[in-house]
Amino acid sequence: MNVWESFKTAWQSILTNKMRSGLTMLGIVIGVGAVVLLVALGQGFQTNLTTTFNDMGASALYVSTVSSKDVTVIRPLTIDDAEALQDKTLAPSISVVSPTRQTRSTAQYGNNSAAVTVMGITPSISQIRNYQLEQGRFITDQDVSGRASVAVLGYQTAQDLFGSESPLGKSLRVAGVRLQVVGTLQKMGGFGGDSYVLLPLTTMQSKLTGGREVQQIAVKAASPDLVDTVIAEISSILRTRHYISPGAPDDFQITDMREMLSSMEATLAAFSIFMGSVGAISLVVGGIGIMNIMLVSVTERTREIGIRKAIGARRRDILLQFLIEAGVISLTGGMIGLLLSLIGSRLMGNIAIGTETITPEISGTIIIIALTVAIGTGLISGTYPALRAARLDPIESLRHE
Amino acid sequence: MIELNNISKIYQVGEVEVKALDGVSFSCEKGEMISIMGHSGSGKSTMMNILGCLDRPTAGQYSLDGEDVAKLSDDQLAVIRNKKLGFVFQSYNLLPRITALANVELPLIYAGKNHRHTRALEALKATEIDKRSRHLPEEMSGGEKQRVAIARAIVNDPLVILADEPTGNLDSATSHTIMDLFTDLNRRGITIIIVTHEADIAAYTRRTIRVSDGKIIEDRIR
Repeated sequence: MNVWESFKTAWQSILTNKMRSGLTMLGIVIGVGAVVLLVALGQGFQTNLTTTFNDMGASALYVSTVSSKDVTVIRPLTIDDAEALQDKTLAPSISVVSPTRQTRSTAQYGNNSAAVTVMGITPSISQIRNYQLEQGRFITDQDVSGRASVAVLGYQTAQDLFGSESPLGKSLRVAGVRLQVVGTLQKMGGFGGDSYVLLPLTTMQSKLTGGREVQQIAVKAASPDLVDTVIAEISSILRTRHYISPGAPDDFQITDMREMLSSMEATLAAFSIFMGSVGAISLVVGGIGIMNIMLVSVTERTREIGIRKAIGARRRDILLQFLIEAGVISLTGGMIGLLLSLIGSRLMGNIAIGTETITPEISGTIIIIALTVAIGTGLISGTYPALRAARLDPIESLRHE
Repeated sequence: MIELNNISKIYQVGEVEVKALDGVSFSCEKGEMISIMGHSGSGKSTMMNILGCLDRPTAGQYSLDGEDVAKLSDDQLAVIRNKKLGFVFQSYNLLPRITALANVELPLIYAGKNHRHTRALEALKATEIDKRSRHLPEEMSGGEKQRVAIARAIVNDPLVILADEPTGNLDSATSHTIMDLFTDLNRRGITIIIVTHEADIAAYTRRTIRVSDGKIIEDRIR
C-alpha cells in the first residue's frame, strides 16, 4: 500500500468519525490559534514601538546634563551651548540643533484647566520630532527672536481646554503667563502623550523659568554614518565651553536613541518568545489530546485492524494509516486554528492600550512555523498509538468485540 | 499444494502447557474441497489459524505452494495471506463504515494492484451481489454480507479459500445457497477448506477431516 492510499484510508476514517476527529482537532485548533495570535500581537507591539521611537527622532542624539555623582562641578547646558553646536567650522557634521526646556505646569482657559508639559522649543524641533499641525501654524524663528507670547497646543490639551471651540487666536494662561494660541497639533500617541503646550524657548526662559539653561539639546547628524563623528564634535565643543580639564569626566551626557531602541526591541523579542511559549504549552496539551484519542481509537478499532491484517496489511501499512490519520487531524486543526487567528486578528483590528494602538501582524514565517509545528505535534503524539496498532496480533484482534 | 507435517501448537497458560495441536499431518491438492470438523476446543480453530498463516506452529513443517511458511516473519506472512489466501469468517468481518465495493477492494489496495474498481466489481458479480456494491454492510442481510465477504476472499485470485464456520450465523436456507456458491467456486478450480461443526455443511465436501484433542482422528474421502 502506498502513501496516497494510506492518506485516503486515513481521510475516510476521519470522515466516518467526525465527532471524535473534531474533538481531537480542537486541541490543535486552540494551540495553533493561540500561538499565532500571541506572536502576532507581540510583533504588532514591536512595530508600534519602532514607529513611536521614529516619531520621537530615533536617529537623533540627545545631549543632557550628567546625572552622575562622580562629577562634582556641573555647568548646566545653556542656549549658548546650543548655538555653539551650530558652528559650521567646529561642528561640520551636525545638521540640526534643537534645544528644549520643559516643566510641568497647569494651563487655564476660562474655567477649564489641564495638567500639561510646558516645552520651550525652537522651530528646528520639527526636524527631530514628527509634529503634524492640525490647524494654525508652528512656532517660527521670529517668535523665538521676538520672545513672542504664543503657544502651540498638543491635541489632548486643545481638547481639554477648548472642547469643540476653535482655540486659534484665544489666550490661555500657563503659570500666570498669558499666551496666544497660534496652532494645534494632530494626535500623536506614543510615550509623550498629547498633553503639552509648546512655546518659544526664549519666551519660556524670560517669562516662566528665567536663566539661559536648557534641559536637553537634540542633535541630528548630516548623515546617519556620521553619528560617531558628531558625538566627538559635541564632546569637544562642550568640554571647551565648560572648561573641563583633560582627563576629567564630562559634565554632560550624550544619549543615542538607537541603542535604547535596540535594547527595547530585545526586551520585546523576549516577550514574544514568552507569549509564544504560552501558546506552545497549549499545543503540547493538544498533542496529548491527540495521543489520548488515538489510543482510544486503536482500542475501538482493534477488530478493524485484525481484519486488515488478515487480508494482508503489513505492520507498516497499519502504522502509516494511523500516523497519517494523526498528521491529517493535526494539520487540519492547525489550518483551522490559523484561519481563526487570522479572523481574530482582523476582528481585533487596532487594540487600544492606554494611548497606544497595537495592530496584530501575521507574517508568512509565523504561518509556516505554526503549520509545521502542528503536523509535528500530530506525528509525535500519533507515533505511540500507531505503533501499538501495528503490533496487534491478528488472531487476538479478530476475536475482539 | 498444502503440506502439514507433524504440526504442534503449544500454548503456555500460566504454568500449564496446553497442546492445541499435537502432531497433525495432512496434505491437500489443488482444487480440493475439504471440511474440517470438530467440537469446540478440539483444535480446529488453531489448525485454521496455522493454515491461514495467522499463527506459526510451535513445531513441524508447513509448506504452502512449495514455500515453507512455518518460520516466516509477521510481515512475510501478511504478504502470503494477501496473495495466496482468502478468508471467510462466521461473523463476516466486513469493515462497517465503508461500502461493499470498498471492502472488496481492500485486499487489492494492500497488494498494490491497479484496476481495483473493475476487479472488485467482477468479484461481486461472481458472488451475485454486485447490485448491492454501493451499500454499507449494515444495510445488508447476513447472506448478502457473506457473499460480499466471499467476493473479498476471491478478488485477489487466491490458491485457497479458508472459511471458518461460514454459515454459523445464517438460517438453513441461506446456508445452503452459500454452500452452493462455495461448490460453484470450487468447480471453477479454487481450493476450499471449510471449518464447521455441522454435519449437513460437511456433507457438501467430498473429503472430511475430523479433529479431536488436537489430533486428526478421521480423514475420509467419500
